[in-house]
Amino acid sequence: MAILIEMPKLSDTMEEGVLSAWLMDEGDEVSSGDVLAQVETDKATMDLEAFDEGVLLKKVIDEGDSVPIGQLIAVIGEADEDISDILDDQGGDGAAGADETDDAAASDAAASSEPTPSSPDSDVVEDPAGDGQLGDRTPEPVPAGTDAEGRRIKASPLARRIAEEHGVDLSQVDGSGPEGRIIRRDVEARIEEGPPAAEPAPQPDVETPSYDLPDDEAPYESHDISQMRKTIARRLAESKYTAPHFYETVDIDMEKAIALRAELNELAEEQDRTKISFNDLVTKACALSLQKHPYVNASYLPDEGEIRTYNQVHIGIAVAIDEGLITPVVRNADQKGMTEIARETRELAARAQDNDLEPEEFEGATFTTSNLGMFGIEEFTAIVNPPNSAILAIGAIRDTPVVEDGEVVPGKRMKVTLSCDHRVVDGAIGAQFLSTLRSYLEEPMNLLL
Amino acid sequence: MATLQFREALRAAMTEEMERDDDIFLIGEEVAEYDGAYKVSKGMLDQFGPQRVIDTPISELGFAGLGVGAAMNGLRPIVEFMTFNFSYVGFDQVVNNAPNVRYMSGGQFEMPIVFRGPNGAAGQLAATHSNSTEALYSNFPGLKVVSPSIPDDGKGLLKTAIREDDPVIFLESELMYGLKDEVSEEADYTIPLGSARVAREGSDVTIVAHSKSHHVAMDAAEQLAEKGYEAEVIDPRTIKPLDIDAIVESVVKTNRLVVIDESNPFASVASEITHRVQDRAFDYLDAPILRVTAPDVPAPYAPNLMDAYMPGADETVDKCLRVLYAE
Repeated sequence: MAILIEMPKLSDTMEEGVLSAWLMDEGDEVSSGDVLAQVETDKATMDLEAFDEGVLLKKVIDEGDSVPIGQLIAVIGEADEDISDILDDQGGDGAAGADETDDAAASDAAASSEPTPSSPDSDVVEDPAGDGQLGDRTPEPVPAGTDAEGRRIKASPLARRIAEEHGVDLSQVDGSGPEGRIIRRDVEARIEEGPPAAEPAPQPDVETPSYDLPDDEAPYESHDISQMRKTIARRLAESKYTAPHFYETVDIDMEKAIALRAELNELAEEQDRTKISFNDLVTKACALSLQKHPYVNASYLPDEGEIRTYNQVHIGIAVAIDEGLITPVVRNADQKGMTEIARETRELAARAQDNDLEPEEFEGATFTTSNLGMFGIEEFTAIVNPPNSAILAIGAIRDTPVVEDGEVVPGKRMKVTLSCDHRVVDGAIGAQFLSTLRSYLEEPMNLLL
Repeated sequence: MATLQFREALRAAMTEEMERDDDIFLIGEEVAEYDGAYKVSKGMLDQFGPQRVIDTPISELGFAGLGVGAAMNGLRPIVEFMTFNFSYVGFDQVVNNAPNVRYMSGGQFEMPIVFRGPNGAAGQLAATHSNSTEALYSNFPGLKVVSPSIPDDGKGLLKTAIREDDPVIFLESELMYGLKDEVSEEADYTIPLGSARVAREGSDVTIVAHSKSHHVAMDAAEQLAEKGYEAEVIDPRTIKPLDIDAIVESVVKTNRLVVIDESNPFASVASEITHRVQDRAFDYLDAPILRVTAPDVPAPYAPNLMDAYMPGADETVDKCLRVLYAE
C-alpha cells in the first residue's frame, strides 16, 4: 500500500515550502525517522522525516520546487508497487492535491452535462443553466475563503464563483451586503477597477513594486527571493504600515554594568560557566522592566477586539544569519538567571546560524530586542516585530564626555531606542518603561535580586 | 380564444373530457342538482344525466372511497370536495388508498382518479375552512398535485389530470372562480403536468408563486418595475411533479429568489423549492432565498388579522428589495 508524503505544515504561517534538498534517492529503503529531505519554509530550513517504513518509490518534485502545503512530494511503498495511478491522479501540472483534483473534476463533469427539461423532477445535479460558462472551468483548488488574519470572508456563493473565475482575491474586496457580505456587485466593481492600487488600510504591495526600474541594459545579477526574505518583507511591511510607530531614545550610564559584568565573568571563567554579554544584561533588564509595564509586553489584536497583555515575558532576540534574520526566543526571561539567559541565547543563536531552530524556538515572543552595538552603531530605530507592541534597538557602549557634579569627566554610555506601536503604547508608557530599564542597567545589582 | 371565468374553464375541461370518454363521471356534494356549490358543474347534470353527475351525502370518506373503488374497476372518477378542508374527512382514501393501490398490487390496478375542489384561504372563513393542503398532499408518493392560477391553465391542466392513469389532486380557489381570462378553444387542449409557466420575464429577481399567490407576485412585479427592478415571475402550475428546471434556470439568470406560498411555512412548498434551488444553483445565488408565507398559526377570522395573515404584494416587494440589497 503506497504512502503519500505531502508537504507538511511546518510553521504557523507557512503556506508553501521549497524542497531545498533530497537526502534520499528513489529505491532507498526508508525507516520511520529517516530524514527524506530538507524543506525551506518561510522561517527556517527543516528536516522532512518519514513516519513509515518502505522504499522511496518516487520523488514527485525536484529540488528547488516550491509547493503548497498538502501537495504530494514523494511516494513510499513496497519495492515493486505500481504507483502509476497515484501519479496520474496528480495531473500534469501538479497544482493541486489528489483530493482537490478529484472533487473539482467531478463537479466539473457534472457541471458540463446538458440540462434535461424532460426530467423536471430530477434530483440529479446538472448544469442548471446550460449557459456554457461552467463547462469552461478548470479545476483549481478552492480559495481558502479567509482573509489575511484568518477570519472567514462572508461572500455570497455567486460572488465566490465570479471571484474564482476572474482570479479576484476576496480578501481584497469590501462587502456591501448585510454584515459585510461580499455580493456580486462588489466583485464586479473590483473586476471593473482592475487589481487593487491602494488599499483602504494601506497594505503596500511589497512584492510587486510599481516604480521604474533602472534600464534593463544595465548589468545586474538576479537573486531568488528566499522564503525568509518574503516573510521579512511581508511581516515588517505589514507592521510598519499598520502599526503607527514612534520612537524614544534614552542614553544609559553603563559604568556600573561594565564593572558588574567584569566581576561576573571573572567568576564565570573560574567556575567554567557561560560568560555574560552586555546584551544578556539588557535582556534581563528588559524582562524585569516588562513585568512592571504590561502594555509594552502586549499585542494589539483588532480581530479579537482586544489588547492582550501577556503574563509571561518571552524575549525575542534578533539574530543576523546568512539568509536574513531570525528572532529566537528566550522564554520566561524574567524568571531566568543571567547565566541561564546567556547560555540559552548563545545556544539558540548558534543553531539559528545552522538553520537548525524548531518553530517553537523562534515563535511566541512577547517583546523583541535588536542589537547592532557590535558594529559600532551608536543608535538606530527598529521596526516593531508583530504582534509585539514594542521593540528595543540597542546601540554600542561608547566612551563619551559626561558632566558629573559640574565637571566634564569620561563616561560609558549606551543609547537604546524603543519603537512603539502607538495603538497600544503611548509616549508616557514607553518613557516609563525606558526609565525602569535605565534604572536596572544603571544599578545592575538589582538584576541579581 | 374565449374569455371565460375560471369556473367555466374548469367546466369546459370536464365537459369536453366526459364527451370524449364515457367512463368519466363527476361525484360530490351538490355537484348535480345544485350545479355545484361554486357553480363549477353548472348544467352538467342536464347534459350527462344522473348516472355520470352524482350528488352524494355529506360523507367524504364514503364517496372518496367509492371513487377509488370505481377507478380500480376501470372507471375514471372526478371526485369533487366542496372544499379541500373537507378532504381531511376522507383522508385515508385520498392518501393511503389512492396513491398506493398501483404500487401494492404490483401494477395490476391503475388509479385514474381526480380529487378536485377549492383549496386555501378564501376570506373570512376562519381556521378550519382556510387550510392550504398542497404541501400535505405533495408529501405522499404516488399523488400528483396541480394548482393553476389562471383559467387557461385550469382548463388545460384539468384535461390532462383527467387523462392521467394515477391519482391527481387538483387544487382550485373560491376566490378565483370568478376570474375572467382568455382560454384556449383548441380541440384537445392539454398542458403537461410538471411544466411551469414564465408569466413575466425579468433579469433582477425571480418570484415563484402558485395559485392565488401568483397574482400577488404579478402585483409585486409591477411595483418593483416602478422602482426599476425587473422581476421574473414563474408559476409552477403543478406542485408535484415540480418544474424545478424552469425555476433554476431563472435563478441562474437573476441570482435571487423569493417564493410566495400562502401555506403555513413549516415543510411547505416554499421550503421544498428553497431546498432544491440551493441544491441545484448554490453557486448562482447572490443572496439567501426568502419566502413570503402565512405565519405558523391557524388562519384568523377578523378581516384585519386575515390581511396580515395572507402573503401580500407589499411584503413580497420588501423581500425582493432585500435580496436585491436595495433596501
